[in-house]
This record gives sequence, structure tokens and C-alpha cells, in this order.
Amino acid sequence: MAGQVTGAGRTSELSNLQFALLMALPVLLFLVLVVAYPLGYALWMSFQQIVFFGGYRTNFVGLANYATMLGDDKFWWSIWVTIRFTVESVVLAMAIGLALALLLNRPMRWPGLVRTIVMLPWCVSLYGTGIMFSYLATGQTGFATAIAFFFGADRPVSFVNRQWVIEVLAIGNAWNMAPLVAFFLLANLKTIPTRLYDLAAIDRMSPLETFWNVTLPPLRFTLFVFTCITTVLSMKLFDFIFVLSGGGPGTASAVMTYQIYKISFRDLNLGYGAAQSFVLLFLIVGSTMTLYALWGRREAER
Amino acid sequence: MQRRMTLWAWLGIAVALVWTLLPIYWFLKMSLLTPDEIARFPPPLIPLDPTPAAYFNIFGFDYQVTPELVRRASGQAGQIINGLINSLIVSIVVTAITMLVVVPLSYVFARLDFRFKQALLITILLSVALPPVSTLIPFYALYVQLGLAGTLFGLIIVTLTITIPFVTWMLIGYLRNLPPVERLARVDGYTRFETLVFIVIPLARSGIAVAAVIAFLFAWNEYTYALVLVNGTPANTLATALSGFLFQHPEPSHLAAALVLSILPPVLVAYFLQRHVAEMNLVDPIR
Repeated sequence: MAGQVTGAGRTSELSNLQFALLMALPVLLFLVLVVAYPLGYALWMSFQQIVFFGGYRTNFVGLANYATMLGDDKFWWSIWVTIRFTVESVVLAMAIGLALALLLNRPMRWPGLVRTIVMLPWCVSLYGTGIMFSYLATGQTGFATAIAFFFGADRPVSFVNRQWVIEVLAIGNAWNMAPLVAFFLLANLKTIPTRLYDLAAIDRMSPLETFWNVTLPPLRFTLFVFTCITTVLSMKLFDFIFVLSGGGPGTASAVMTYQIYKISFRDLNLGYGAAQSFVLLFLIVGSTMTLYALWGRREAER
Repeated sequence: MQRRMTLWAWLGIAVALVWTLLPIYWFLKMSLLTPDEIARFPPPLIPLDPTPAAYFNIFGFDYQVTPELVRRASGQAGQIINGLINSLIVSIVVTAITMLVVVPLSYVFARLDFRFKQALLITILLSVALPPVSTLIPFYALYVQLGLAGTLFGLIIVTLTITIPFVTWMLIGYLRNLPPVERLARVDGYTRFETLVFIVIPLARSGIAVAAVIAFLFAWNEYTYALVLVNGTPANTLATALSGFLFQHPEPSHLAAALVLSILPPVLVAYFLQRHVAEMNLVDPIR
């Protein structure tokens, strides 16, 4: 019936493609303009040596900027720091997000209040999180110091040092991202029929088995998507690290974004900075693709 | 599923609340301390003599603590007020434009089949992956040439490049879960555009509301572009005004109070958001 009515008369009706293009084209043009242009510009810069002193000029140097990277210890170090920070952030954010979601899914008193409080970190900007955690974790003003003195210690306890700064950064980042993960997982948890849990009880499943066989399956795709999102967000994170540790102490937390910022804006070596930013972009896209190939494809086919 | 609150559940909630609130508490505490108390070592666990002086100071008012002691207004007050207004303007405009653009965009990707869909979708999703540090210099160079550096208009354009791809991606997942209303709407003689405006948008309003809040949060909290494009100009945002406290002169209670202030608008929208967000469900956007 519906087909007949659709076919009758409405010759002025647009096709799917026409309607889609009408809706999408202006946005796509905007995105191409404001995304492809800077990308193309950065690509061009990465092949140049850009000089400011003694008059602005650019010299084409081919792949020299990329070649310089290979022998640059700071560059390799920043890749390692980025990977370490990203892996720790993602694991923490996903684990804490899942734990919060399972907790929020339980019946409890004042659910609205608890949900609002749990969501608070997401409202704090990343630079704000950076300021908070720097005061929380450094020795002079830190929480650990206050607690230690409360129990009779006489020396400040600081975590912003060469050994622990990456972990402080990862915890702060996870603190900020975990609520976003938790709320999407919670949305999925709500779709699980209660009957399944009754059936699991009849089958005498242990809590762990119930979690594995009933709770986890509908979460798997969301877990994959948010692993990708948190990976991308962590790798391109800049302001939080800039505010919290400024890449320090020394170069202990100099992630790639910080390194690119420093090369481009402090050393004014724009060509070299642009070249490194393409390595970062490649890393981000590459790790998302790898996640999709190893995990996401399987989940999507389910 | 167990229906009673076990000891473990209480413990879990307690741990979650401490995890969430400790960093916020630590900062809230600092905003209420006197300069002497902040300088004291070891840092106090609770404010012994809390005063709201810093909250007056950052808006440019002196605060009379005792008849002899006045805590002077912050020199950054102008920046803070200006930043607050600019941040509100940018966030509201960005949210409005984002939603205007993203709702139809995500609708066609979520509900219609057409050629080039995959390729067009991947273009949008890839732009989520772009790190701001890669596009900062090109944007800066372009903006200096166009005279857009240090303007709110320029900042709004850049912020849109962050919000549009991300929010599109989230809304696609939501819109896919709606019941198949299009065919019924066509039986009733609606065109595609009318279907979208009069049927789909009212049906999806909670998801759209959540997406709007997410766009607002992204715009409100944007810092990297603002730091380079508008910092130190009349178009500075609250984020850059805040970082002025951090780098220029250390008055920690003012910094803390300004940060608490910067969290208030998002917290208001978060309270609104938490009722809706549990209704959202994520589905694979590429399928």
C-alpha cells in the first residue's frame, strides 16, 4: 500500500541521493575547506625550510625534514611517551568507565544525584583538569602531602616527577573521559532484558559467568567504539599536558603534541613541526585502523 | 539481578564518589583559603577559616575580611568578565550552528541509502582524528591574512570544525535506533523535508538535546585554538583568561575561584543531560 501511495503523483519528490546531497553538501564543502586547506598547507610546510630571521623566506628542502626526524632522539622519545600515555589513559578510562556504568545500572537511592555527580568530571575542561591535577599531585600543595603529614610524615609527597608524571597525566585524562564512556555503556546496559538475568540465575551461573555471557555481549561494540575515541582523543591531547606538566620535568612527559608545539611555536621551526605533525596524524589514523582490523571488524559482523 | 543494596554496592558508590569529587574538592577548598593558608606547608586538608573573598575578587570587587584586612580585587577581573561573555557567545553560537547543520546531516546518513555514502561518511569521521596542533599554524597563517585572528568570528569557525564531525558521529548512532516512521509519514503525504522537520526531529528531541549539550561542552572547553588565535586580544575566552592566572602571577585562590566559575555553566547543563543520556544508544555509524 505504502509503495502505491509513494508512486502516485509526487513526481517532484527528490531521490535519496539528491536529498542527501542537498542536506550534506554545504557541510561537506565547509569541512573540506576548513579541514583540507590546513592539511594541505601543513603538507606544503613540511617540505619547506621556513626562515624568519633576516626576512621571511621559504626554501624547498624536499624530504629533509622527514629525514631529520630519523636521527632526532627527542622525536623518538616523544613517540614512546605518547604511546605510553595513550595506552595507560585508554585502559584506565575504559576500565573506570565500565565500572561506573555497572555501578550506575544498579538500583540505588537518589539515582539522579549520583548520576550528576559521576558526570561532573566530563564538565571540567581538559585545561581545568590539568590545573586541578597539578595542584593535587605536586608536593607543595598536594593531597598526598596533606595525608602523609596527617599521619606524621615530615616530607612532601610529589607525583609530578620523572618516574610518575605520565601516570599522573593518564589518571587525570581518564578522570575526565571516564564519565563519557560510562554513560554510553549505561545506555547499552539499559537495553538488556531483566529476564536474561533470571535465566542466568536458573542456570546457576556464577556472577563472573553472568557478566561474561549476559552483560558483556551487548557492550562489546560500544567498548570498541570508545576504545577508538579515547585513543584518538588521548593521542591528540595537548592543552591538558601543556597546563599540567608542560612536557616536563625535563622531557619526561614531552608527548608528540607538546613536541610539535615546542618546535613550531618556541623554536619557530615550522617546516619540521609540520613534518612531525604528519607522523602524529599517521599514528592516530594507523592505530584506529589497527583497532578496527583486529577488533572492530569482528564486532561489526556480530 | 540482585535488588538489594549490598555492602559492596555501597562501597562501590563511595569509591566512585571519592574518585570523582576529590580533585574537585581539592580545588573548591583552595578557592576558599586565604593567601596565608595557601602558602602554609603542609597544605591543610580542610579550609579552617573559609572566606568567599576570591569569588568577589575575580569579578573586580574588594572583599572586607576584617575591618583592617581587605582582599583586593584581582587585576584580571576585566579579562575574566570579558572571557565569560565571549565564551558564552562562542558556545551558544557554535551550538546553534552545529545543531542546525548536524541534524539533517546525520539524519541522511542514519536513515537513507544512497551512492557515495561510505566515502562521504568516512570524510567526516576522519576529520575527528585531526590533531589541532597540526592545523594550528595553517589556521593562524590564514587568519592573519584574512584579518580573522583575534576575532570571535574566527574562533567560532575553528570550533565548528571540532563540534560538527564529532556530534554528527554521535547522532547517527542515535537516529538509527528510531522506529521506521518515514514510510508512515509518506503515506500521510509528507515530503522528505517535512518528515524530517515535523516527524523525526520531535521524535528524536532527547537525543538532539544531548548532542547539543555535547556541542556546548566542546565549545565551552576549547583551549588550544583559543590560546593561539585569540589569547591576549579582546576576543579572549574564559579558558585563556584562566590560563592568564596560571602563568602571569600566582594568586592560587583567584585561579581556583575562576576555575570553579568556569565549571558552573556546564554543570547546569549536565544536570539536564543526565536524565536524557541514558536513553541514548550507540550503533555502528558505518554499516
